[in-house]
Amino acid sequence: MKNKQEFSREHALFLKKCKRHTLVVWAFRVGILALLLGLWELIAALEWVNPFITSSPSRIGKTIGSLYADGSLFYHIGITLSETLIGFFIAVFLGTAIALALWWSDTLRKILEPYIVVLNALPKIALGPLIIIWCGTGSKAIVFMTVLVGIIVAILHMLNAFIATDRNKILLLRSMGATKFQILRKLVIPSSLASFISMLKVNVGMAWIGSIMGEYIVSKAGLGYLIVYGGQVFKLDLVMSATCILCLLAALMYFLVALLEKVLVKAPEQN
Amino acid sequence: MKKQLLRFQGVKMIYHTKNGETTAAEDLTFSVDEGEFVAIIGPSGCGKTTLLSLAAGLLTPSEGAVENEGISFGYMLQKDELFPWRTIEKNLFLPLEIKKIKTPENKERVHALAEKYGLKEFLQSYPSQLSGGMRQRAALIRTLATDPDVLLLDEPFSALDYQTRLNVTDDVAEIIRSEGKTALLITHDISEAISLADRVLVLSKRPARVLSSHAMNFGEVKNPLKRREMKEFSAWFELLWKELNG
Repeated sequence: MKNKQEFSREHALFLKKCKRHTLVVWAFRVGILALLLGLWELIAALEWVNPFITSSPSRIGKTIGSLYADGSLFYHIGITLSETLIGFFIAVFLGTAIALALWWSDTLRKILEPYIVVLNALPKIALGPLIIIWCGTGSKAIVFMTVLVGIIVAILHMLNAFIATDRNKILLLRSMGATKFQILRKLVIPSSLASFISMLKVNVGMAWIGSIMGEYIVSKAGLGYLIVYGGQVFKLDLVMSATCILCLLAALMYFLVALLEKVLVKAPEQN
Repeated sequence: MKKQLLRFQGVKMIYHTKNGETTAAEDLTFSVDEGEFVAIIGPSGCGKTTLLSLAAGLLTPSEGAVENEGISFGYMLQKDELFPWRTIEKNLFLPLEIKKIKTPENKERVHALAEKYGLKEFLQSYPSQLSGGMRQRAALIRTLATDPDVLLLDEPFSALDYQTRLNVTDDVAEIIRSEGKTALLITHDISEAISLADRVLVLSKRPARVLSSHAMNFGEVKNPLKRREMKEFSAWFELLWKELNG
């Protein structure tokens, strides 16, 4: 192995160029954010538009501060976060398990296909009133909604991945005398890992849609509740604050999945 | 008289689909002796892969019999089909895991094979880090891992570029000969069949039947590249070409 000093001048230039490129990208990312926030603040401060309607970064900061001061900030975050996470995990694991069952039995898959297609096409929010009647007006209804939004996506995504398993590799394993369970364990599951991660990423978004939608329909607390309540009483500061916190939480959850991907997917991806 | 390891006796194979049925093979009769390297050539789409699946017992013939009892098979496909998430070592152990015979002795044997055929330094690498030739060599060692009686080779070189292909063919032939294995090679490449096999069988168009069987007379020359340079080679090529297209 060569060490750094032995690289050519051209390579050093190349590395420098890469570094500069990354720097430019980050500078623009941060710059755009600062510009938008600044502009927003300015519009509100100079009252070009009534800040009552647009709110402003400083007012959002103040609102979050007062929520924190009266202790309700983490209460609302906790409720929404727990509903989202519970719904997310149930949807992911139940969905994957159902997809496995559908992969295992062709007959079962054919029988259930029309049901899954219809459930996938159905806008889940239409079931809102039913869910309230079935599950009551507590967190249970919201978790149910979250699962409903995520599970079909999980099933379809994983089923496609399982079915797309390389036929020749299955033939190879069968020629070694592998049982169906061995084919599942040694080939189908590991080869679907990348799809599993991409399904998790999609489902992060789905879970937040489900939980916030659920809170819109029925809730006494949570970020979705704050948004609906803020809208009803025209406290746009509250609406914007809750939305900003949502952005941060969703991004954090996505980032955690991306981190999981780095840990799980070890084999170098080439060719 | 050598022992017959594998025997097809009047085998007929019909495939059923909703649109009808296709007869892939009809009255297919041939046998493979112990230690023999048999190549089967035929026009494309004549059901060559079906034939290997029948031999390995993955398919049951509609009529006739495939006598393969008590024989273990190793299957080698067009592509190496190494699992990209496993290291080369774990790929080589795969058949041992499937057959639940991952004993210290068997692992030792696989290691010995890997060392003998130049894969030792790649054991902890992933398949994507190896060249096409090395990957195919790894696939062969994986096939040999369970010490099968018969190797079934389904156009194992067709996915490689020409240069690599000549080298890998040489390589694989050398390994199979030195391990004293019986092999059944299916290919559409006439020159590959001539350069590798002791005997070449020609199949007809679908439904597949054995048209003819030729013992290759290259004396003691087993090396594929050397065979390609001999004058008998072009004579065989011409003859088989005519039979295939006749």
